[in-house]
Amino acid sequence: MRKRNLAPDKNAADSNSVVPTPDDLTPDRRRLETDLFKTVKELRDVKAALDEHSIVAITDAAGRITHVNDKFCAISQYSRDELLGRDHRIINSGHHPRAFFQNLWATITAGQVWHGEIRNRAKDGTCYWVETTIYPFLDEAGAPLQFIAIRTDITKRKANEEELQQVAAELAEKNKELEAIVYTVSHDLRSPLVNVQGFGKQLNRACDAIRTAIAAAGPGPVPAEPLRQPVDVAIPQALRFINAGVHKMEALLAGLLRYSRLGRVALSVRPLNVGGLMEDLVAATRFQLDQARAEVDIGPLPTCQADHVQTGQVFANLLDNALKYRDPARLLRVTIRGEVKGDQAVYTVQDNGVGISAEHQSKIFEIFHRLNPDDTPGEGLGLTIAQRVLERQRGKIWVESRRGEGSTFFVSLPALESRS
Amino acid sequence: MNNALPPTILIVDDDEGHAILIRENLEAAGLPNTIRHFRDGQAILDFFAQEPLRGSQSFLILLDIRMPKVDGIEVLRRLKSDAELGRLPVIMLTTTDDSREVERCYELGCNVYIQKPVDYDRFAEAIRRLGLFVPLLLVPAVSAR
Repeated sequence: MRKRNLAPDKNAADSNSVVPTPDDLTPDRRRLETDLFKTVKELRDVKAALDEHSIVAITDAAGRITHVNDKFCAISQYSRDELLGRDHRIINSGHHPRAFFQNLWATITAGQVWHGEIRNRAKDGTCYWVETTIYPFLDEAGAPLQFIAIRTDITKRKANEEELQQVAAELAEKNKELEAIVYTVSHDLRSPLVNVQGFGKQLNRACDAIRTAIAAAGPGPVPAEPLRQPVDVAIPQALRFINAGVHKMEALLAGLLRYSRLGRVALSVRPLNVGGLMEDLVAATRFQLDQARAEVDIGPLPTCQADHVQTGQVFANLLDNALKYRDPARLLRVTIRGEVKGDQAVYTVQDNGVGISAEHQSKIFEIFHRLNPDDTPGEGLGLTIAQRVLERQRGKIWVESRRGEGSTFFVSLPALESRS
Repeated sequence: MNNALPPTILIVDDDEGHAILIRENLEAAGLPNTIRHFRDGQAILDFFAQEPLRGSQSFLILLDIRMPKVDGIEVLRRLKSDAELGRLPVIMLTTTDDSREVERCYELGCNVYIQKPVDYDRFAEAIRRLGLFVPLLLVPAVSAR
């Protein structure tokens, strides 16, 4: 803690003021001088206190910097010499739109005080946030003579706010996921249950019919006719739907568990040679591809930063989907390409399959959504999982498609080297 | 009016098991109505597109909500926005009890909303009663032909 004591001056002033003089004018003048001295000292104290707490700059009416305090130099990393005579554009971060500063300037040149939060750029390129008050000093006509800008460093608060916003967004996303799961549990899991329950009752009814027939026959042989419907039709049908329902519920529960555990798998992000990965995937799918007489064309692919296992599953799923949703009217052709855009490697997996209509494109990433539940096997989880896996690695997946022409799936992942 | 035929019941449900259960239970409850099954929303819309309504024939639609291609809510919306088809009684039949979805169905003008799995005895009774009212509900269109 620093302490500044200006008390001796004050005592001196007080002792002077109590001495009477014969001159009529002198006491008034002395009082005036004393008052002036007190005022100046008070102002100096206020300024010292201000400099201790705030980042301060004074500019002339044209906005040229005429004074900066030590804190201004420290946070902006510019020396006083570099700042004096310049305007505040030297620390403009480019974050705010032009209209923001136009409004600021219009406010203070009209003689009004401006308050706001500004993101500035220090000499080394890093940014900092300041809460700012700009106060105009006006002449007698009300025109600004100079402006004083008093700022407080709020970089940390801003970072916290941003983090909070991100956490809130993640939470909202999680909530959406949870809602989808609740919907699945309430609908998709109940749907097979309706069959299990309903056909269980049908089974009971069939057994009642058999019991009645047996009771009617007494000790003699049971006639075949009343047994035929329950034994040949009703019971096998009921058992078929009960078994299918139980199987469906088991698959749904397993899928839900798999999906809910995804977030807990530790990722190992390393440079990933996607070209090699695709070659391996195609080799592993060779049998199915040959059976469909499909052709896969892999172009040169950039290397990205990703988890090998999980990203492999994403591309395996895309290849699998291309096979599943191929158009029987033509031979399947899958084209795999990739390029670096900015800091992302963007891969495309393009097929000439059945395609996805516009209204279904947004639904394909939803949990348990199935395009053709009857025609193709699967649990409706592949793309949901792909999206989740990629988002965890700061990647993305999206689709462009036309019904009857084919689909192109885009996968972006952080590139090994960025290209502008 | 009472000489009208009992309405043909049109079940629209992508789950074959559900459709069989509804049909067999309605039959077991003694409903004499003809019952037809459609596997998704598009199929029922195609049916009505090909078969214009006639005064002597009436329908009662049992509509599932979650179906591939065209879902039940969309079917209900399209039926209710048609002057002729809009008069057909529709029972929404679904596995969810999502209140927003229930509200949506009533807004679009469904007559009854029943959640599966249903108590089939009560269900058959509800249909029987609704079926009795259907000829009254289905006032034949005023036709100048």
